[in-house]
Amino acid sequence: MMSVSKHTTNGRDSARDVAVWDPLVRLIHWSLASMILLNGAITDAESDLHQWVGYVAIALVGIRLTWALVGPRPARFVTFPPSPMRAWRYVRAVLAGDRTVHLSHNPLGALMVYNLWLTVIALGMTGYMMTTLRFFGIGWVEQAHELAFDWLLFSVALHVGGVALDSWRSGVNLVRAMVTGRKAIPKGTKLE
Amino acid sequence: MTSSTAPATLKQRRATFLAGLILLQALCALFFVGDVVRDLREGTHLDDIHLMLESIAAVSLIGGVGFLMIELRRLLARMEHMDAGLRVAQGQMVIVMEGFFDEWHLTQAERDVALMILKGLDNDSIGTVRHTAPGTVRAQAAKIYAKSGTNGRAQFVSIFMEELMSGDFNTSDPA
Repeated sequence: MMSVSKHTTNGRDSARDVAVWDPLVRLIHWSLASMILLNGAITDAESDLHQWVGYVAIALVGIRLTWALVGPRPARFVTFPPSPMRAWRYVRAVLAGDRTVHLSHNPLGALMVYNLWLTVIALGMTGYMMTTLRFFGIGWVEQAHELAFDWLLFSVALHVGGVALDSWRSGVNLVRAMVTGRKAIPKGTKLE
Repeated sequence: MTSSTAPATLKQRRATFLAGLILLQALCALFFVGDVVRDLREGTHLDDIHLMLESIAAVSLIGGVGFLMIELRRLLARMEHMDAGLRVAQGQMVIVMEGFFDEWHLTQAERDVALMILKGLDNDSIGTVRHTAPGTVRAQAAKIYAKSGTNGRAQFVSIFMEELMSGDFNTSDPA
């Protein structure tokens, strides 16, 4: 059978498609990315629009967190717990040449996911505080907001780099997976 | 492989639509909650009819989001179930095919050709894929039909269809 399926129609049989990201996860991901881009690069920081975009970003993270409790398996907290130990083991395994494909986030990527969510929440909270009478014009709140933004920029760069690196390492195009929802798993790779 | 996803596309569109609705409704809820919070900050009281209506709208929108999330979860579970069912069917189909191929004593090359015939490729395409002349493919196909006791492509394919459609159907309902 192996020899038969090796050269069938268009070579797509050499990989199998597994559905991993449901449409809600994908919509939230790309919406959040757009909100970050909007507020980071386009909107005027003093404007109402900047505030609304920020609230939308917070709401998106809020929906995602709820979905991580009630959603399907790959979207759940239990599938990618924030564990530095697991991340460390993963890094060592990768350096040793392990090519296991993770259906949900890989353990290192999971840490980045939590980091991004927390950073967006911190940005939203400090941003909201600046609109209140109590904290308006107070130096440390503004500084915290700017610091959180710098950290977010740094994290996004790492996130994109990590996606590129892991796509190259595992042969699974992670960007495509976040668009179509499916990971094309190369034949003969271990799944986790 | 694309054929395996075809029956799910309607459900997939439904799932995407539901996800979009969840986002939109959640953002509407956010708008009302934000408005309520702002009104409260400005010192209006809950007995204000405007504020009360806004609060009701916010609560029902949030409730709706929760309900839609559960609905989407169910839909995704059903889709996964169907996917799994299809995979089982595909696995069974391979066993059925192998069984027939063994029974007819097909050579390795003939097995390859037979599989491609079943997948719907015509002789020219099979020749292209296998880097053989169309004449060779025709000869191999003829050999396959002779060994299987069929008179051509249609009858050959129908053997497998018949095998899938006969027998008792008391497997559990996939929905």
